[in-house]
Amino acid sequence: MPTTPVLEFRDIARSFRRGEPVLSDVSFSLAREEVVALLGRNGSGKTTLIQIAMGMLFPHAGTVRVFGMSPIHEPVAVKKRIGYVAEQQILPSRSTIPDLMAFHRYLFPTWDVELERSLLARFGLSGNSSRMRQLSKGEARQVALICAVAHRPELLILDEPAGGLDPAARREFLETSIQLLNREGTAILFSSHHMGDVERLGGRVVLLDEGRVRVDDDLDALRESYCIAIIPRYAAHAITMIEQLPECLKVHQQYTDWHAVFRGTPQRVQALLHDAFGLNNVQCATVPLEELFIELVGEDRRAEAS
Amino acid sequence: MHIAINPGDDLPIYRQIMRQIMDAIAGGRLTGGERLPSHRELSEQLVIAPLTVKKSYDELEALGYIESQRGRGTFVSARLPKVSRAVRSSQLLDAARALLSQAYLGGLRYADVLKVLADANHDLTAEPARTRRKEG
Repeated sequence: MPTTPVLEFRDIARSFRRGEPVLSDVSFSLAREEVVALLGRNGSGKTTLIQIAMGMLFPHAGTVRVFGMSPIHEPVAVKKRIGYVAEQQILPSRSTIPDLMAFHRYLFPTWDVELERSLLARFGLSGNSSRMRQLSKGEARQVALICAVAHRPELLILDEPAGGLDPAARREFLETSIQLLNREGTAILFSSHHMGDVERLGGRVVLLDEGRVRVDDDLDALRESYCIAIIPRYAAHAITMIEQLPECLKVHQQYTDWHAVFRGTPQRVQALLHDAFGLNNVQCATVPLEELFIELVGEDRRAEAS
Repeated sequence: MHIAINPGDDLPIYRQIMRQIMDAIAGGRLTGGERLPSHRELSEQLVIAPLTVKKSYDELEALGYIESQRGRGTFVSARLPKVSRAVRSSQLLDAARALLSQAYLGGLRYADVLKVLADANHDLTAEPARTRRKEG
């Protein structure tokens, strides 16, 4: 069924307090084998959106569909085909690793014992019969990952998979995700603050800013077809008009100059600023993902400067 | 051949792979008919998404540097793309101007640039290529 997206959000809105929306008009979807990185500052609504996909929260407006089904009305059918690692995974503290594996084997008819064994071995957890409360943070997340992937889900949802992990553990987590991509064609939705991990997993980036989708584009497009233009002080009169250009995503003051984020290659944006405002040789450059992220969702520096 | 990627680099990962394969072909470290790792092998070796590897191979194939044979794998093209001499020299002239401008701004002289070129040539054509050349 190539036409049904694996996951689809349409016009999602949600708030926890009246008049303070956490999400507004969020729409995007994931196809089979697609990877989407969900980026945004803390509090931008990433976890809320993921919980809506999991059927743990209901949206106040809009619809969410997982494999074409509602995760609230058909939770079992949906959850069978999803793997999920929460930001703060709560594993039953008294269960041992073998208990937990046995439970999942019983729960999921598609549970792959071979995959379970190979992941336990890779994480150095084979033969470990500790209880969950005795595990380190890294080990607990590894166990959570095994529980999320060994039934070979069609969609893997990872809420800050790298949160609190050391670099070696993070790399193992990534390696496991990449193997799933290679072998199962699993679609992955993950939120992260590690731009290196985002670049490695590739695919598309959805950037949430104050509960709205600010950017939804291919990772390589973000690297090559977005740029920052540094508008010099003497052109400040044109700022409001620059801000209204459809290609302009954000303008903010950085000390005495202005930074404008554009969708377009540096050459195109330079030509645009020249043609529209007669500005010559405006400095335009593509920037690493981390810089782009900060430019798009960072605070306006005016407040600090004054 | 050895490919190394750096996620924080100026170039996106797929371009880093393209550049390294093109460098290896240019320097003779990869020769026509040689097999490249599969999407899956390179993806797992570099810990990057398989689609990223596919993208770099697709672009290299469109440029004529490599060719994929159904069911057999991906190989360095036996005959490299023919770019007309005029086009090639004009592209090279642009690159040379940029190189010299960067060097002179940095206070280097023409002789220093020639030495840098020799070093770069050594890096591109390092050990394995030498032996292969003798055979050919």
